[in-house]
Amino acid sequence: MPLVVKGPDPKGPEEPVSRRRLLAWFSSVGLVGSAVLAVVSDLVFFKPRVTYSPSARFSIGKADDFPSGTRIARDVERVCIVREGNRMAAISTTCTHLGCIVSISDTGFACPCHGSRYDQDGNVTGGPAPKPLPWYKVTLAPNGEIEVDKNSPVEPGSYFTV
Amino acid sequence: MSTIPQSRDREEAVALAPKPGLWTAVRELPSNVWSSIFRNPLPATDLERAQTSFTNFFLHLHPVKVNRNTLRPAYTLGLGLISLFLFLILVVTGVLLMFYYVPSTNQAYDRMLDLRGTVAFGIFLRNMHRWSAHGMVAMVFLHMCRVFLTGAYKKPREFNWVLGVVLLLVTLFLSFTGYLLPWDQLAFWAITVGTSIAGYAPLLGTQIKFLLLGDTTVGQEALLRFYVLHVAVLPAVLTLLVAIHFWRIRKDGGLSRPERKEAGEGVVKMRFEPQKRVFGLQGFVRGPFTKIGNVPDDSVYSWPNLLMAELFVFVLTVSIILVVSLAFNAPLEQPVNVMHPPNPAKAPWYFLGLQEMVSYSAFWGGIGVPTVLVLLLFLAPYIDRDPKGVGRWFARERLLANTLFVTLVVLNVIFIVIGTFFRGPNWAFVSPF
Repeated sequence: MPLVVKGPDPKGPEEPVSRRRLLAWFSSVGLVGSAVLAVVSDLVFFKPRVTYSPSARFSIGKADDFPSGTRIARDVERVCIVREGNRMAAISTTCTHLGCIVSISDTGFACPCHGSRYDQDGNVTGGPAPKPLPWYKVTLAPNGEIEVDKNSPVEPGSYFTV
Repeated sequence: MSTIPQSRDREEAVALAPKPGLWTAVRELPSNVWSSIFRNPLPATDLERAQTSFTNFFLHLHPVKVNRNTLRPAYTLGLGLISLFLFLILVVTGVLLMFYYVPSTNQAYDRMLDLRGTVAFGIFLRNMHRWSAHGMVAMVFLHMCRVFLTGAYKKPREFNWVLGVVLLLVTLFLSFTGYLLPWDQLAFWAITVGTSIAGYAPLLGTQIKFLLLGDTTVGQEALLRFYVLHVAVLPAVLTLLVAIHFWRIRKDGGLSRPERKEAGEGVVKMRFEPQKRVFGLQGFVRGPFTKIGNVPDDSVYSWPNLLMAELFVFVLTVSIILVVSLAFNAPLEQPVNVMHPPNPAKAPWYFLGLQEMVSYSAFWGGIGVPTVLVLLLFLAPYIDRDPKGVGRWFARERLLANTLFVTLVVLNVIFIVIGTFFRGPNWAFVSPF
């Protein structure tokens, strides 16, 4: 007669999950879940809700201060204010390559750091820049001044009509 | 049993012993203090040499015996040790510098000037810290090259290699975070350029950059974040990982070495006799390479052989840093001017290869290629499973792996050299000569 070793049935016992296993399983899920929550809350903690830098939304003065044909770079806010006729726009002057400040050139914008060049509308015409310069939303504030919001990028070429 | 009467005898003997007089206590004070600290005399026998590693807090991380190959300078070049000692110098000088530094955009640069002008040894400490930091990045990298080119990452040391790659990344991040703290033009624009590279990561790039800087641009928040990372978080992480790295060296059977010769010459057959405890202090942890009972007798006692080697490397490292710090001053440029980037704006030298690649393609140079390279490094021991050629430099059996590795290293060095010396204003190609 062959030796038969009695052991747990490989197909599983009548009761598939014992109480102990179920508790262990719940505990594991709880512990792993807590760890994930801890990491997520760390990231939430590290992401500042308020930044202390100047507001991304700022006033640039009356529309009349910018006669048609104006192209003024504001280095503090890192935008270039453009006015053509009664249309106004704000183009970023932060180089999309590595974050240097681009300066206004005859053909548009030029970056002093790594030689990126952009045309008048901020499209890349040369150098290592990977993306065109973003445009920002321009609005008229209730007090009659023009506001630029760097948190609201708009499609390049979309002007605000004064 | 006989133990009880014996101990009773001893108690009686203690009770009956004459009470030492005050004069005796005073006379024996120095030797009593000494022997209360160091319980054993300097080791004279092999047993005592073995016990030294066990009983001394600072030495117990050493094995009792090390393989002769471990002590060959031509094999390890001492690169791991040099990295450790540079880290120790960095911790000491860094803590000293912290006493005079303020992580504020208004004060940080003035504090640099104070180090130069008013703080005793200030400029010297800053030099030591700066040159040790550059040295550590270089030495950790060279250490990795040594481990690869001797095939030391093979089984069972795969995980220690992975830890080593993490340590390299942490070292780079430590150096990078320290780069911003002087708050001069060099620091500001190097970090601006460096974090912009992080911003190229797909999907999460801008998020990572924002978390790192605590703002959209490099400013006070970034300075504070980099400071905390640099003086608290990353050194703690590095220390923990270094401890595991060292522990794994022991657990993986010591440093890698060539396969020992067949039993016969140079191999002493030993029997394991637990009762007599003859080999109870056997130096090697039970591992895949050395088996108790068949120990190749090409090992020497750590005391004094390994310790003298370590002391030599330590003195050499400290001497070189001292001389370099006396001879060269750490650069300090103009205070930060957010409006006027220097032209060209360059990242720290070890990221200049990256920046050079970024000047060809922002995504591929900054994220794509580096990610692939780091992944390759992590996976190297799991891809290259051939156990041949371990423990020798440039083993013939490892020609393919070594050639690939050396090619990548040389390419990286070429990019760094181009970025450092051959790039002028507007990142145009210039000749340094």
